Amino acid sequence: MNNLHAKTLDIINLNVTLPNGHRLLRDVSLSLEPGEVRALVGESGAGKSMIGKAVLGILPTGISISQGEILLEGTHLNALTPATRRKTIAQTSALIPQDPLTALNPVRKIGPQITDPLTRIHGWTKARALARTRELLDRVHIRNPDRVLNSYPHELSGGMRQRILIAAAFAPSPRLIVADEPTTALDVTVQKEILRLIRELQQETGTGVLFVTHDMGVVAKISQKVTVLFGGRVVEDAPTRDIFENPEHAYTRALIAATPTPNASIEPFRPVPPALIAELHREIQADDDRFSKRAQP
Amino acid sequence: MVDATYSPRPMRFKVRNLRLWLPLLWIATLIIAAVFAPIFAPHDPLAQDLMLERLPPFFIDGSEPGHLLGTDSLGRDVLSRMIYGARIALFVSVIAAFSTGIFGSTLGLIAGYYGGWWDRVISRLVDIWMAFPPVLFAVLLVAVIGTGLTSVIFAIALIDWTRFARVIRAETMVQAQMDYVDSARIGGARRMATLLSEILPNVLPSIIALLALEMGIAVIVEAILSFVNLSISSDDPTWGSMISEGRGAIHFAWWVLLFPLIALFLTVLSFSTLGEGLKKQFDPVLK
Repeated sequence: MNNLHAKTLDIINLNVTLPNGHRLLRDVSLSLEPGEVRALVGESGAGKSMIGKAVLGILPTGISISQGEILLEGTHLNALTPATRRKTIAQTSALIPQDPLTALNPVRKIGPQITDPLTRIHGWTKARALARTRELLDRVHIRNPDRVLNSYPHELSGGMRQRILIAAAFAPSPRLIVADEPTTALDVTVQKEILRLIRELQQETGTGVLFVTHDMGVVAKISQKVTVLFGGRVVEDAPTRDIFENPEHAYTRALIAATPTPNASIEPFRPVPPALIAELHREIQADDDRFSKRAQP
Repeated sequence: MVDATYSPRPMRFKVRNLRLWLPLLWIATLIIAAVFAPIFAPHDPLAQDLMLERLPPFFIDGSEPGHLLGTDSLGRDVLSRMIYGARIALFVSVIAAFSTGIFGSTLGLIAGYYGGWWDRVISRLVDIWMAFPPVLFAVLLVAVIGTGLTSVIFAIALIDWTRFARVIRAETMVQAQMDYVDSARIGGARRMATLLSEILPNVLPSIIALLALEMGIAVIVEAILSFVNLSISSDDPTWGSMISEGRGAIHFAWWVLLFPLIALFLTVLSFSTLGEGLKKQFDPVLK
């Protein structure tokens, strides 16, 4: 907004901590160009989702950003008042949540849940918001938009709800979408369709996407860049092609090797070696020691 | 939650309807009796007739035709006093339950959603409050602020708000964790707006269930306070004062105590059953 040439998202040395001082994100830096899809991969607890939550300002109570900068379209989020920050985030970003079953309010009809942000934040008229919503529901192959808009969430299937959430996220044509494992809660056949829809809409609207996942197969299909995380640290950051063809870090190689293939019956499953995990934990410890030294004087 | 839809419909329908309609029937009867008390009551509830004291109800020998449920020790008509007593019982239960509910739920919502200091202060307050024995507290409170209906209502609200605060706080915390609350926030909704439009509708079924339960409790508390003569003046017909008065004559005039007791019992039972039924009725997922 302020700067047309700015990156969609620029995260610089982000540290996110629990109230007891334990760091969940350790000096994470990454950036997202307009229209780019960046995958955030790592195992459970690596901090993938935490990055998205920090960006969107929805960190759980008690967890806070202790250091670092987040620039959204060139705007320093930390420098803004909470109210302006909320508005800036609402105007530029959207979320495709992980679990379609809890992402829609069960006691409200679908229609207003999608159109509310459009009229509230983007200042659209009700008619325009509805027209745009119908258009997007059509794009995600929902046959009877009016019936769906008048339904309660529990009346629809999980796959349908996820498609609705995708439509809702793309409706205001945001500059940034955080997709937080959008396919994890769905079965494999639906997953493929959801991925295709996200990619199609993303290419049409030129939206930058932070795609959180632990599935290397999904990474290969959807992203141009990859950030590999372990224990809240960036292990490797590279274009997707390089990650698969020429992974630099041993952990990245291990992650790729651990991805099941159709030949899984022939090739035995290869988990990440414990020695490597131990090595990574030692690095984290050293990192934390440096961090506390830096914080003390 | 989800598979409730697959259970056979007609059966569920019947059972739930019965649970909803029986209490409603009793409460409707009470409301009609209360509103039209002067029409239904065969006698003046305050009229004494010492010639006709402790007359038994109609199905026992020695009853008078005009006194269907007998008379008490001062010759006042039990049925008329019960009908007028319904007025006070209903008035107290509705006003007290709503004031308790609004006060307690507001604190519960704030504590559950805003967390932090709000939660700490409100939760400690609830802990402290619940350490007092409620009946003793009520008696003490009314003794200090004076007797009367307003005092009774005030006492109920001041004692029982913790019930709402605790339950609604817990439910709010569960709802606040849901992704749709995050989505609303990302969509630019303010905290207060999120609380009112996203979370409140989801905890409303619980509030309604608690309200109905609270109405029953209010009836009991009012009866207790009447029983110890701390509600309105003992001449006024309340179920509690009738029970209190009948207690002395239970061996030879049990009806003075029994009929108001049955009314009290049915009313409390109806309110709590109704609460459960309403909770299901208001929940779109269970519906």
